[in-house]
Amino acid sequence: MFRVFRADLRSLADEDLMALIHDGEPRALEVIFDRHGDRAYSLAYRMCGQRTVAEDIVQEAFLSLWRSGTRYDAAKGSVRSWVLTAVRNRAIDAFRRESVTASRDVADEEATARLAADERTESEVERREDARRIRAALGELPDEQRKVIELAYFGGFSHSEIAGMLDLPPGTVKGRMRLGLTKMRVALGDPPRVTQ
Amino acid sequence: MSTSDRDCGADAAAYVLGGLEPAEAEAFRRHMSTCAICQDEVSAFGQVADTLHLVAPQLRTPRGLRRRVMGAVRAEPRAAAARAGARPLVGLAPGLRRWATAGGLALALAAAVVGATALFSGGSSSKLIQASVIGSSGTAEVRLSGGRAELILKGFPRPPAGDVYEVWLKRPGAPPSPTRVLFSVTSGGAGDVGVPGDLRGVRQVLVTPEPDGGSLAPTHTPVIVAQLR
Repeated sequence: MFRVFRADLRSLADEDLMALIHDGEPRALEVIFDRHGDRAYSLAYRMCGQRTVAEDIVQEAFLSLWRSGTRYDAAKGSVRSWVLTAVRNRAIDAFRRESVTASRDVADEEATARLAADERTESEVERREDARRIRAALGELPDEQRKVIELAYFGGFSHSEIAGMLDLPPGTVKGRMRLGLTKMRVALGDPPRVTQ
Repeated sequence: MSTSDRDCGADAAAYVLGGLEPAEAEAFRRHMSTCAICQDEVSAFGQVADTLHLVAPQLRTPRGLRRRVMGAVRAEPRAAAARAGARPLVGLAPGLRRWATAGGLALALAAAVVGATALFSGGSSSKLIQASVIGSSGTAEVRLSGGRAELILKGFPRPPAGDVYEVWLKRPGAPPSPTRVLFSVTSGGAGDVGVPGDLRGVRQVLVTPEPDGGSLAPTHTPVIVAQLR
């Protein structure tokens, strides 16, 4: 038996909460959900285009975090990245079960509440600005590069599957992915490293 | 999978996008473990890939999803408790025998204790004990109430990277007994930890930094010593 760490959980950093989650504290997972649930759901919905499926994906992702016996390693990325990776993986699993098809612009007639344009909390203003910059950077890519990135990231397709879909050599698909991400690095203020 | 410098990094973008086949991804991970070029590429591309989720329209989680998720999580308490029980424990460290002897403990306490004082609250049912903090800043108190103990920290440093604080109960003539209480502190150095177990006969409550997952016996000298009796 062990005692729960009783300090205000909402004042803890994500990394500290992950340690508590590993030790079986559900309230810590609740805080992680509150912080990253919107992004997780947004990604899941973007990938599958169906509200109920997106909800299932998010639930499975958070359950997988809860069940995981692996202690979170900050060196491998932020907690947000870990959550979103779990969401992506669950979405791709759903695609492969053929219960869901990857969807980019399927309209869901059920109400999906977007972040209100007048949201003024600091984090949400920052999030909107980040989203604007990322969309701009992706939008500025040549179509051929943007398409392969979107198919891989949001569609869960491998480079060989994309090559088959677009009737391209596999090497070409990987090359376009590399060029596209390199251009996005520059656009977002991180100049590419010269490797030759 | 080519490992020549000329081709190194060619698969990094596909890897971070999840665009390699499973066997290819596994081969790339093995290659990357010895290739600084690919490590750098993955790190740089990974920072971009980590932002791609923002391309998606940003939505609010639907009403009820939070309750549903947490309901499912709370329905699985055994998985978490089993994981806690299976936490890897470290065996006796080489210098531990010296530490575990009564003589060694007395030596450690003599060098460390700076006068623990017991403060009595207004009521007779609770007791606040000022603990000694050794080798760092901050304060620590043990609140005793109704046979239960609570360790309260303020301004206390986080444990070293990869370590966690562990709470021990020390009875005369016996080595420190692990409580399985592992904790860290907030970024502001605050902590509030319940101390489980029967406190009868316990002379000190101790805290040591231990490897992640805790230890069967202390591997470091205490950083907190609370003298209960």
